[in-house]
Amino acid sequence: MSLLDRLRGNGAGEAHSALATSLPSRALLWLIGSFALLLTPQWDRLPLWLIAACAVLASWRWLAQYGRVRLPGRWLRTGIMLVLTGVYVATVQGRFTVDTAASFFVLAVGLKWLESRSVRDFYVLFFILVYLATVNFLFHQEILWALANFTGIALLFVGLQVLNAPELPGGMTSGWRRLGALFLKTLPVVVLLFVFFPRMSPLWSVPLVSGEARTGISDTMRPGDISSLAQSGERAFRVTFGGEIPPYRDRYWRGLTLDYLDGETWRQGQTEDFRALGRVAVDGGVGPLKPEEYDVLLEPTDQRWAFALENSRAVSDNVVEESADLFRFRRPADSPVRYRLALEDTAGPGEQIERAELRRYLQLPGEGNPRARELAGELRRNMSDEQIIRSLMARFREQAYFYTLRPPAMPDNGIDTLLFDEKRGFCAHYAGATTFVLRAAGIPARVVIGYQGGEPGAGGDYLIVRQYDAHAWVEAYLGGRGWVRVDPTAAIAPERIESGLREAVAQEGSFLENDWASPQRYANVALVQWASLQLDRINYQWQRWVVGYQGQSQMDLMSRLPGGFGMRELGYLTAGIVGAGLLVAGLISALQMRRGEKRSAFRRVVDTWHRLCAGAGVPVRHGETPSVLAKRLAEAEPAAADSARLFARMVNSHYYSAGTEDEGDGQLARMHRLLATMKRQLRRSNSRTGRRRD
Amino acid sequence: MSGLGDTMKNLFRNRWHRWVNRRIPRSDLQFFSQKNIFILPTGAGVVFGLLLVIMLLTGINYQNSLVYLSTFLLGAVFVGAMHQTHRNLSGLEVTLVQPGEGFAGDDIPFRFRLRAGRDDAIAILLSCAESGHAPVHVHSGQVLDVSLLVHSAHRGYLRPDRIRIETRFPFGLLKAWSWIRPVSAGVVFPRPVPAPEAFSTVEGGEASAQSRSVDGNDHADIRPWREGDLSQRVLWKRFARTGQLVVADWEGEQGSPHWLDFNAYPGADHELRLSYLAFLVNERGKSGARFGLNLPGQVIEPDSGPAHVARCLRVLATWGEERPRDAMSEPHGTRKRSSRTLSRVITEGRV
Repeated sequence: MSLLDRLRGNGAGEAHSALATSLPSRALLWLIGSFALLLTPQWDRLPLWLIAACAVLASWRWLAQYGRVRLPGRWLRTGIMLVLTGVYVATVQGRFTVDTAASFFVLAVGLKWLESRSVRDFYVLFFILVYLATVNFLFHQEILWALANFTGIALLFVGLQVLNAPELPGGMTSGWRRLGALFLKTLPVVVLLFVFFPRMSPLWSVPLVSGEARTGISDTMRPGDISSLAQSGERAFRVTFGGEIPPYRDRYWRGLTLDYLDGETWRQGQTEDFRALGRVAVDGGVGPLKPEEYDVLLEPTDQRWAFALENSRAVSDNVVEESADLFRFRRPADSPVRYRLALEDTAGPGEQIERAELRRYLQLPGEGNPRARELAGELRRNMSDEQIIRSLMARFREQAYFYTLRPPAMPDNGIDTLLFDEKRGFCAHYAGATTFVLRAAGIPARVVIGYQGGEPGAGGDYLIVRQYDAHAWVEAYLGGRGWVRVDPTAAIAPERIESGLREAVAQEGSFLENDWASPQRYANVALVQWASLQLDRINYQWQRWVVGYQGQSQMDLMSRLPGGFGMRELGYLTAGIVGAGLLVAGLISALQMRRGEKRSAFRRVVDTWHRLCAGAGVPVRHGETPSVLAKRLAEAEPAAADSARLFARMVNSHYYSAGTEDEGDGQLARMHRLLATMKRQLRRSNSRTGRRRD
Repeated sequence: MSGLGDTMKNLFRNRWHRWVNRRIPRSDLQFFSQKNIFILPTGAGVVFGLLLVIMLLTGINYQNSLVYLSTFLLGAVFVGAMHQTHRNLSGLEVTLVQPGEGFAGDDIPFRFRLRAGRDDAIAILLSCAESGHAPVHVHSGQVLDVSLLVHSAHRGYLRPDRIRIETRFPFGLLKAWSWIRPVSAGVVFPRPVPAPEAFSTVEGGEASAQSRSVDGNDHADIRPWREGDLSQRVLWKRFARTGQLVVADWEGEQGSPHWLDFNAYPGADHELRLSYLAFLVNERGKSGARFGLNLPGQVIEPDSGPAHVARCLRVLATWGEERPRDAMSEPHGTRKRSSRTLSRVITEGRV
């Protein structure tokens, strides 16, 4: 009688929701599980207090489900909301970015747990969690995070099934099975849509720049900056070459130049003004790589600079070349960016710059580091520019200079201390000191920041450049030759330039000494190295072909298909795919339905009987019970009276007995025989009456 | 303006109902298929659609392939859910096994038998006007009986116009529904109303009743005559013997002992009389007494036992009512019935 429990409310929908005022625990469990999973991709981005608050709020809801605690009343709820929002506002400090908005979104999800009582709240949570997954995609696109996100969404859908059929036995496994089947069936359409849906350009622009500092080089350099970067095994970018991978010592990835020395700090003398000078190929970023081309997939930096080898030119149209052989994006790289460059022949005279321009590269502070200036003066006295550089390098090579990740503190006159007393430093120290000396000697010079090196990924077909490959070196301007690279590190620690930081600081043992979790730290363990590289390869392919599948790649793919697809055709095609998908699905379900009807043999027998009756002049009336029909048939055709009555009883017993299906076979056979008899009787009586009529 | 809007709405609704009624003829057995299943997104489904649009905008704006991918994936899930929800209902066979009986104003249980076809039918919800029941699950090829309470307004035949069968499984983003429009009608007994003292007006019956029960002295109480007692009740034989004016008083009420009489309540409305009689039938049924029922045009001889009680109640329920015919598409026993037909039927009954 539990089914008879009267429910209040208007109509079925209301009754449905009224039933579940206390949400089913298992459904809630899925929802909370999904929340936990969807929160993980955000852990490095969210403030700690917010994660803690979310954990507490969700646990509160979970305990309340079992009656251990009570959900807060309206006042307490408002209080909690105000407090947390206050903390949030204090944390954000008025910065409004997508990042802070995403944090607020997470906060809103957390607070919603305290207000999840009804089915309606459940759906609200479902929607915002789905959107949370979307927000996650903005910040993390690696394959594992993507899988975590999709799993989170799947958990939500299982939860919905549990919500809609709470006491269904085995609902969990059948829920997964149902979802899996749904996924497999719809996969072709999803893939087609993904490939063909036209990738429009953004409708409006809200930069995704996060307020937090990212690991990576910055546009100022103090001695020691890069050595802290050298403690990170994070990936900076990956490169695929169309031709041969250049040797290690030539892998100088230029990012930006610093030309202004401000006390101890090197900065950019003038803020970069955007000048679209470089040649920009409209559609060059796709297709197979030509031998001189290379393809870079840069991790987000929130900066506009792109890293390039010397003597490169832009191929894809998302990078432009700026004055000093540097490349810039049109907008900050807030998500992974793929771009393509090509190497040019180095032949030909170098860049010539005007005298006035050169003065920028001779700037020095008015005072400080007297010994370095003295050294410069000495060198200047009897040598040409090139000789000065060579003798400075020789000094670094021959004297006891050390390349170390643990440089001593050099507070006053740092360059003097480095050059003459301590003689221990990192690339940034030496680059700064060299530039200082060269400038003091009257040679225009600048510091270049970027990366040097890169280790091959799995299979050796691409390079991975990591943060510890960050490097600083010097470029000097020689009349007639243009800018020439001068790398003091190459003189002091050639192994750094030949094979990387790991070798250079092997004796010191300071490689990634603070980064316990980095797999690069355990590169000597073959298995770890292998696994990490394989994972990186999968991720690289994922990012290049799935994550990076954007406008250009799409257009390239389309251009290879016959029939010249443009944006408009893609739109038609997409609509066609959706329509065709719906049509096919409809057809399949209609066919299944027909088969289902056919398989209902019982109905077929009854239909035959109805036809028989109609043939005998007793058409079935709507809503007529089998016995009434049999009675009318018996009146019309007394010969078939007994068999008709028996048949009606059998039909009734099928309808009104809660029997199982297996008894049906024998019953069906009997019904068929009975129908045959009935048919014979009718025919006989017909022929008799026919004869009589004759 | 709103009046016009309401009119339009009513017009539309009537048209829609007529169309549905044509599409779903009255039958105690309903097989659900593409022909008679309706499907629409629920409120949550509409919001889900909006969410997909927002996600697509996010994908476009941040040129994020994975957001595109998840949007398409969720869209496909929605379309897939459409088929699943539809299949959840299609193939299901619903039979009205037993239309219920009960007193007017109560909820009358109607028993339905659900037989699932090739696919499971999960979270199926039957409802009628204001009442529903918890969702039930019928697995493929299995059979399940479900009772649905139908609210009755007044006595007579109760045949709900439509009983809605709905499912929102699996995700609640879509609802598929259909109706069964039963032919068979339930029976609603008059609502029992405590009966006042009855004045027996059955001519002829009075004499026989008096002689039968008083002679047997079965349930009679003898008490002195009071002002206002009917002269027929006075036991004249005893008066002749003893000179005391005493009156026979029977348990229950002061009408004829075995007979419950429609005509015993002059001045009362017909429906009210039926309600009194229903009350008395109940009382008698409880005490197990013998009684007969006297209605204009219909007499039930005295008897006792639950079967007799049920028979009497059924007669009271359907007295002057016409069993709904198959062809008639109007609902029976619901509040919409006009009182004109009622009075006409009652006049007929009197003749």
